[in-house]
Order: sequence, then structure tokens, then C-alpha cells
Amino acid sequence: MSTASDSVDELIKRGYEHGFVTSIESDTVAPGLDEDVIRFISAKKGEPDWMLERRLKAYHYWLEMKDPEWAHVKHPDIDFQAISYYSAPKKKGDGPQSLDEVDPELLATYEKLGIPLDEQKALAGVAVDAVFDSVSVATTFRKELAEAGVIFCSISEAIRDYPELVKEHLGSVVPHADNYYACLNSAVFSDGTFVYVPKGVKCPMELSTYFRINEAKTGQFERTLIIAEEGSEVSYLEGCTAPMRDENQLHAAIVELVAMKDARIKYSTVQNWYPGDAEGRGGIYNFVTKRGDCRGDNSHISWTQVETGSAITWKYPSCILRGDNSVGEFYSVAVTRGKQQADTGTKMIHIGKNTRSTIVSKGISAGEGQNTYRGLVRMTPRAEDARNHTQCDSLLIGDKCGAHTFPYMEIRNPTAKVEHEATTSKISEDQLFYCQQRGLSEEDAVSMIVNGFCKEVFRELPMEFAVEAQKLLNVTLEGAVG
Amino acid sequence: MSSKTVESRSWFEQLLQHEAPVTNEPAVVDEERLAARAAVQELPLPGRRQELWRYSSVSEIFEQSFEPATEDLDVELMAESGDWLLPDTQAYRLLFVNGRFAPALSNVQELPEGVRLGSLRTALHADAQSLAIWFGQAAKHDTHIFTALNTALMHDGLFIHLAAETKLDRPIEVMHLNLAPEKPLLIQPRNLVVLERGAQAELTERYRSSGDSHYFHNGVSEIVLEEGAELEHYRLQMESNKAYHLHQGFLAQGANSRYRNTTLALGGKWSRYDLQVRFKAEGADCETNGLYLVGEHQLTDQHLDVLHDTPHNSGRHNYKGIAYSSGKAVFDGRILVAKDAQKTDAHLSNKNLLLSRRAEVDTKPQLEIYADDVQCSHGTTVGQLDPQQRFYLQSRGLDADTARKMLCIGFASEVLESIKREAIRDYTLSRMQGALDNVIEKLNEQ
Repeated sequence: MSTASDSVDELIKRGYEHGFVTSIESDTVAPGLDEDVIRFISAKKGEPDWMLERRLKAYHYWLEMKDPEWAHVKHPDIDFQAISYYSAPKKKGDGPQSLDEVDPELLATYEKLGIPLDEQKALAGVAVDAVFDSVSVATTFRKELAEAGVIFCSISEAIRDYPELVKEHLGSVVPHADNYYACLNSAVFSDGTFVYVPKGVKCPMELSTYFRINEAKTGQFERTLIIAEEGSEVSYLEGCTAPMRDENQLHAAIVELVAMKDARIKYSTVQNWYPGDAEGRGGIYNFVTKRGDCRGDNSHISWTQVETGSAITWKYPSCILRGDNSVGEFYSVAVTRGKQQADTGTKMIHIGKNTRSTIVSKGISAGEGQNTYRGLVRMTPRAEDARNHTQCDSLLIGDKCGAHTFPYMEIRNPTAKVEHEATTSKISEDQLFYCQQRGLSEEDAVSMIVNGFCKEVFRELPMEFAVEAQKLLNVTLEGAVG
Repeated sequence: MSSKTVESRSWFEQLLQHEAPVTNEPAVVDEERLAARAAVQELPLPGRRQELWRYSSVSEIFEQSFEPATEDLDVELMAESGDWLLPDTQAYRLLFVNGRFAPALSNVQELPEGVRLGSLRTALHADAQSLAIWFGQAAKHDTHIFTALNTALMHDGLFIHLAAETKLDRPIEVMHLNLAPEKPLLIQPRNLVVLERGAQAELTERYRSSGDSHYFHNGVSEIVLEEGAELEHYRLQMESNKAYHLHQGFLAQGANSRYRNTTLALGGKWSRYDLQVRFKAEGADCETNGLYLVGEHQLTDQHLDVLHDTPHNSGRHNYKGIAYSSGKAVFDGRILVAKDAQKTDAHLSNKNLLLSRRAEVDTKPQLEIYADDVQCSHGTTVGQLDPQQRFYLQSRGLDADTARKMLCIGFASEVLESIKREAIRDYTLSRMQGALDNVIEKLNEQ
């Protein structure tokens, strides 16, 4: 047992691989938030008036709101005046037109992170939009995508170039009044990704965004909007990292998905923000609102997430199943170690007939990590023959961690069928014994059991991410024995 | 502060004005009452925004005014209420009317040595000092405003005390009869059940009302099981369609003690039972089973809060609900396993049948776990009767109504079978069958 706890301790102390800082001259607005800052951001982006008005409306609403307290996480009050709301690498000229114009230091950063920005060396078939602090620095494979009719660009560009699309859909899934952090985001969001897949188009490649917070004392407020028109299909990947710092940084993003009739959106996240050190100093506060709207009949939205980073994760990728026969899925692996806290889960709101949802949540807690699943399944009176199946499993490694499950089920239709199951346990000694008796080392046995525990989720991930996720999990947990 | 919170605060304050703060009870009681009175004025008010009250709205209660039931009622009134006797004649019987002990219709003669059964008020007057180690210990008045209200205006309730190693040979049967024929009343029984080391008892409590009595029942029960004590507890609640029933049970279990409970909620306009379980030492076992049925304009809410503070304790909690017409069934269960409570074994299950379009089921089974060497699980289902099962029964010659009723009884029987005493099991089964006839009728009307 002592060797086991030693290796857990060792793991907890293990360094954070992505914790380097890139020295790039950047344009950072002084910390603080007021109307002028919002005007500054809006002007910096060259936004039309209607966008500024929306931002200001959200800001004024936010001033009236209260910080939410219901989440099962503890953190000191956030000083919103100590955060800088905009930071961008200083641009040469008018910003990059192609990869050649991007600051080589930036490219090197992404290379270190393993992001294939360079199209020549790119992993076959993944188009990348990279967001550095507050702005999008490069988007690859534009030409190929444009040929298919897919729009894949930063949200700032979209506001400029496709205002009608943005005006119609931005905020239609997550309105500014939705919650405290979503409201803040609606006021100060700086950049993010915009995807538009036209009617009947199957996006020819996986789309991907890589987010990185670099500058100290900044917050990142990105905004992603994906619209899949009738009969279209798109798979989107998202990855995140940040440097090691001993203050907490705020990441409050919004992701909105709109799926029209027969459309399919698959959204995968590998979140590996800096989790803070062993004493819980520093790390990212990841307070994110993600929601998909299955607006049309037979539409399909699938969320897959692997959450290993952040000091605090607080997010609930949700689906509003409006269209008849629409399908919502949520697959999640959340790992907390050290002093990490995660309060994550999903909401499935069934409105249309024959709507289906599946929730598979796997929580792994080690060290002093606290892992919470919080989910809502709501069957409205109109949701005829709707189905939900929820499976939440928690694995505890070590006696100082915690695993919690808070499911809510609100059923108002007798033809609906809802099932929820949850279990919590440590790695069973029988399983360990069995593996070891077959000649596996203790470490390999644990790794195998944990991977098996997460398999249901990993197999939902696109290939490249599945590999990364598995690697991440091994780094986080290998050798840990309950 | 919004006008609504001002209103509900004054609802509490008005009730407090009905009585003088101190009423010459024993010092222990007066102190409790005074402290509780202060707490009523300060504790947070229940409301939709509070997690504890998310699905069961109390605003309807605050819209009505109730007067504390302070009079001892005429015994004759009770005679009309009919079948208040259970078919079992062996039991010690106690009758409480509006929370007050009615000795004339009770049978607590020939008690074995070491057994005290009867009125809490009498017991406190006789011996407040020695009861102080239990009274108000499990049910703290400073956490919950309705507990504080109960304490501030407490008068009487059930008192059971079994000395160490006392094993009661006959079951205890308690009838809580609530009558409010004229004006809406606030009825607040305060019960205390203490089983000392190694004692054993079986207790059946029934909550009934006559006609369409209109009242708010705000009861508190404290149950203390010391080392090795065993209590078999049945709680049957069937009240009038104008009754508001809130009852909070506080259970404290000592080492190796055993508590088995079956709760049935079959009536009342609005009923809610909160059970809080606390393990004080290792090796205790707690089993709770619940069955509830709600129809037209009814709401029932079962809250279960189990805190595993110490290692090696086990809990199994199985609740089932049936909702029809515009009934609303709520379940909120939480199992909390604290840091050092290793080897905890806790399982929670809540299954619901939703039979009508307007009915609603809200359920929230929660696990909060801070120890690693534990086995914990919860499961929940909500659905209608399986059409295939119905078809199967009908294909064997049963008519549609009988088939439906049979499936409902089958669903409920898992809980009913947890009742060990046959007389009570049969009684609850016949009650359930009667209620289901009504359900089928209502379903056919739609």
C-alpha cells in the first residue's frame, strides 16, 4: 500500500507538460472592467454597432447578477477588476493573411503543444483554428473547406464577414441572461471559432480549435458558434492548455451549437488547462457554458469531453432536444487530482417526440481531488415516447478524494422512460489480483482497469483525440492503486 | 427583501404570537422553546430557490392562516372517525389527538419493567433532567425553520423509552389523529423514541384525519437507538384531502444498532416526510422503504438524508412512487459518506410509475462520497406501465382494468413485503388496493 500511495504522491507532484510561457510582445488592456473596456474590445475587433450594443446590454445585465453559489466547488471570490479582458499578440501589419505571416514564435508555441498548424505536416484531415489569449491567430485548410462551402473562421471575422448569420444565431442558444459567467462572456468575449456547414454538406475534415492562455493576469473569454444546416454533418475538436502561474486565471467561454433538420454535430473536447500546483496554487478556473440546440427533426448532437486540467471545472454541455426524433449524447471522463475540483455534467431537455438521450459520465478522483457529476433530465409534457439512459460511475483512488453525484430528473410525460444508474467504488482488489496473477505489474493492471473504466467514452472520441486522451489519462494516473 | 419573504416571515411570527414565550414548562423545555423562538425569526425561509424546497412549494401554506391547536378535544369526536383500530389486538395502543395524548382511548396498561410509553409532556414534567440527554439532541432547532417552529410551540407528543436490554413482547401501535372540523389548525406533535442499549421494539405509527379536516401538521420525531438496539418502524400516512403534512424524522443510531422502516404516504393534499439518519458509531444498519401514491391536486415529497460519519455502517433505501391525474411525486435522497467512513455500504433506489399525462415526477438521488473504500450506488427509473406486460395479462383473459391494477400492485408489493408483521402488511395491501381502484377509475375518466 505504501508503494502505491508513494506513486500517487509522485504523480500528484508530476510537472505540467504544457506549462511554458511564450515571450511574445502583446497588446494587453489594463486590468479592470467597465463600459470603456467593452467599447475598446469592440473597437479593436472593428465590430458593427449592433454587436457593441449587445455587449453593453449584457454588461448592464451582468452588473445586476449575483455570483452563483450552488456548485459543489470552493474558491475565493473572483476579483473581476483584477483581470485583463483583452490580450493579443502584437500584430505585424494588419494581421496574418496566411501562415507565413504569423509570428514564428507563435508557430513554435503551437508546435511545442503538438498542434499541427503547418499544413504540410498537418495530420491528415484536421483543420485547425488556433486561439492565443484573446485572438485567433491562424486557421488552416481554409481553401479546401471553402470549396466544400464550409465556413471555418474566427468569430471576429464572422461578425465582419457574415453578420446576418451571426446576428441570427449568436445568443440564440445561450442568451446573455442565461447565467452569471455566460453573461460576462456575452459582454467581453474576445474571439473564438465560427463554423457554418451549409445544407446537405458533410464537412470533409475534422475541424479543430486549440486554445491557449499565455499572458499573465488575463482572462480568456472565447465564444464558439457552430451552425449545421439541414442534412449537414460536422465533427469538431477542441483542446486547451495554459502556462504555469501561481495566480488563478479565469476562462469563461460559451459554445453554442445549432443543428437543423437531419444535421449532426459531434463536439469533442480534451481540456488540459493548467491545474495548479500540489498545494492548489494557481490553475485555471474553467467556467464554461456549452449548449446545443437540436432545432430540427432527426438532428443529432453529441458531446464528448475528457477533462483532466483546470483548478476548477464548472461546465455542463447540454442539449435541447426540440426537433422530433432528435438525439442528444453526452460522454464524459473527468479526472481530478491534487486539489482539483470538477463540477460537471449535462442537461438534456426533451421537448420533441421520440427524442433520445444518453449520458455516460465517468469520474476519477485521486489525491485530494473532488469530482462532481451534476445533471438534469427534463421530459416536458410534449415529449412523447422520449427516452433517457444515464450511467454515472465514479472511481476513487486514495482516501482523501471525493466523488459526488447530483442527478435531477423532472418527468412530465407518462410515455417517457428515464433510467439512471450510478456507482462509486475504488478499484476492486479482486480485479487487481486477477490481473497481477496473470503476470501484469500492479501499474499496468491499474492502467488497464482505468482505461477499461473509461473505454465507453474514449471510443466516442475521434482517433487523434482518443490517443491524446489515453496518454493524458496515463500520465495522470498510472501506477495509482486504490 | 422582497414582499414575499416579508409575508412568509410574518406568517411564522403570527403563529408565535399565539402563545407566551415561556409557559412554565420544566427549565430544559423553556430554554429550548426560547432559543427556538429566536431561531424562527432568523433562519432562512423556505422557498423555491432553496435546494431543499426546489420541488415542493410551501407558498400555498404561507397563503393560509392557521391557529395552533391548543385545546384537548372531546373524545366523542374521535368515535366518528371509524376504523382507527388495527386488527391486531395484542398491541399496546396509544392515541394522540392533534398531537396530544388521549389516555382514555389508549391502552398502555401492564407495561413490563423498563418500559415507558405515553405522553412526552408528562414525561418531561416528571423527569426533564434525565430526558435532556436525548430531547432536542437529534433535532436541532437551529438548522431548520420548521423544526424551530415545532420546538417553539411544542406541547406534547409520543414518548417511548426502553431501558437497556428491554425487549418488548408486544408491538406498539400509535394513532395520530388530526381533527380540525371548524378552523384551520396548526398541529405540531413532538415525538421522542429512545431505545437504550440492546432494547428491541416494533412501532407502527398511523397519521389519519377525519372528514375533510383542514390543517397544517408540522411534526418532529426524534429516534435514538443506542448500542445494539433494534427498532422496526412502520409509518402510514393517510390524511384528508385538505391536509398539509410536514414531518421531520431525526434518527441517531449507535454502534451495531438496527433500524428498519417502511413509510407509506397515501393521502393529504400536500405531504412531505424528511428523514435524517446519523450514524454515531460503527456497525449500524439502516433500512428504509417507502411507497407513495399521489393523484388529483396532490403533492408528496420524500426526503432522505443519510450521513455516514463513521466507518462500517450500511444502508439500503428503496423508494417507489405512483403518480396519476395531476399528482406530483417528489423524491430527494442523499447519501453522504464522510472522509473516514471507510467500508460504508450504501444503496439508494427510487422507481416511479407515471400513469397520467398531467402527473409529474421529480427525483434527485444523490451520492456525496469522501472516502474511497466504499460500495455505493443509486438507481432511478421513471416510466409508465409496460404495454407488453399489460397485453400479456389481457391475453390471459384479464380485463384492462384488472391488468393495470395487478401490475401496480406488483410494482408496490416490493415495498409492502418489507413489512414483516402480517396484520399490518394485509392492512396496507388492502388500503393500497382500495386506493388503486380509485386510480383506475380516475384513469378511465380521462
